[in-house]
Amino acid sequence: MPDEALSVGLSCPSCGGAVSIEEGESVINCRYCDSMLFIEGDMGIQTVAFKNKVDPQRAMQAAEAWWKKGFKARDLKKVGKTTEVYPIYLPFWSTTIKVAGWVCGYEEKTRSDSKGNTTTERVYKEVMVLQDHRFSQIACDPGDLGIRSLRNFSGERTFEDFTMIPTFETTSSVDEARKQAEAEAVEQARRGAGVPHITFERIYTVPRKMSVIYYPIWVVRYSYRDRMYVVTVDGVGGQILSGRAPGDPLYQSMAITGGTAVAGLVSGFGLVFATLEAGGSSGYIAIFALAIGAGVLYATYRFFRNGSEIIEGEFQGKRGEIGNPLDVGEILKTLEGFRP
Amino acid sequence: MKVIQVRCPNCNSPIMSKQRDLLFLCQQCGTLHVRDGGVNLVDYEIADFAKSAPIQGRTYVPFWRIYANFTILSKNSSGGSMYKLANWIKGGGGDSGDVFIFVPAPDFDPPTFKRLATDFTANWPKYSTRLDFGGVPRLPANLPKEEAVKLAHFVIITMEAEKPGVLQTLDYTLDVKDARIIFLPFNSTPDGLRPGL
Repeated sequence: MPDEALSVGLSCPSCGGAVSIEEGESVINCRYCDSMLFIEGDMGIQTVAFKNKVDPQRAMQAAEAWWKKGFKARDLKKVGKTTEVYPIYLPFWSTTIKVAGWVCGYEEKTRSDSKGNTTTERVYKEVMVLQDHRFSQIACDPGDLGIRSLRNFSGERTFEDFTMIPTFETTSSVDEARKQAEAEAVEQARRGAGVPHITFERIYTVPRKMSVIYYPIWVVRYSYRDRMYVVTVDGVGGQILSGRAPGDPLYQSMAITGGTAVAGLVSGFGLVFATLEAGGSSGYIAIFALAIGAGVLYATYRFFRNGSEIIEGEFQGKRGEIGNPLDVGEILKTLEGFRP
Repeated sequence: MKVIQVRCPNCNSPIMSKQRDLLFLCQQCGTLHVRDGGVNLVDYEIADFAKSAPIQGRTYVPFWRIYANFTILSKNSSGGSMYKLANWIKGGGGDSGDVFIFVPAPDFDPPTFKRLATDFTANWPKYSTRLDFGGVPRLPANLPKEEAVKLAHFVIITMEAEKPGVLQTLDYTLDVKDARIIFLPFNSTPDGLRPGL
């Protein structure tokens, strides 16, 4: 993992040389005098902060570039107006967990022959799981900011921005974070094993030390036709982390018209084909076509229903890119706690 | 955060090392200790290289050797009938007994970890011991004892799963009696680590 070491404010008690530590480590050796050193953190938790690499101009440019992407309102670039741009530090729990174990069981495979007879075969499986799992989770209440985990773990680390950027303190417990980290690692290992019917499972987790990473995030607030929206920008890489933007009624109309037409055509094709080619597998083709038609119709409905607002990020209850209507009040309430 | 210098709990000498290592070995009195929730002494052995082992690339690898009683309460595998029949003819497969489980302590990649753990657990190494490393470098340990015990379970299940047949259920007990560090001799080659026993 390309993590860079942190070397701020810590010195070797033997020779006084600056020491570098890596996230999650409690033992280091001094590179100047070879003394072995032990890190005692607050309840064994280390704190790491990433250096902010983004300025207000870059954050605004990232937000405005994002306005142009996807099915957002076509006049957003002209009408949208940035009202406020400021950075905050958000805390994240972070750790790496070694996962080792076995998942055993079976998979049932059903086959049909040309006469329509079906047979079910049981395929036995034993799958070894041995991997490292990276966990991160926001350590405070993110409200409706749409940020719940950390995607980037590399960058310059320093605490010097702490005096300039408002920092949100951790509010969730480290024990709870550890439990969630282990549960997530086990669940991912279980899913990765791909054993549908499990008869035996032993998955062991070996967690490293938990760290708190303070990560710089830029909050860009903007208005569009008397409504307020928020976009967040990664303070290290400069890319969009989350955001809400107005949708476009034209795209909604096009979607409902085009989607229903396609759904009707596909379903109709299936039914006509089944009628003309009676027998054999034509029945299956008709059912398949109807299923595709229903799927297209559902996607169309989803787009039409939620297309008045485009949402990106890890919002609670979010399904796909297009989600729930904007709750400006909730966002503003959340941001009051972060503002400088 | 606070940084403290690690000192030997026996003679109070500072522990020096050119690499980050969870095992603190005192160069003055030879005491080995770890700091996992407190200062704990660890028993250890240093295995001697075989006379035939090449001089070049010699290195020591620390293993947690877990001594435990392993009892299979019930087991079910699909297939592997010939193996089961042969085992039955031999008078059972040894469903209970004391075992040494070797868990590599350095931070190896998963395939290397599995290979070394299962190889040494299946064929316990025989060696004569020595009192020092004789100037041979050693790999740093990155695995505390409690976690080594967890991984011992993984190793023992792996041994069972890799027998013929597809494992379906395994109910067992693993009663750990002792855990100590064994520094085993290896030769570092372009093809990886080769045991120097």
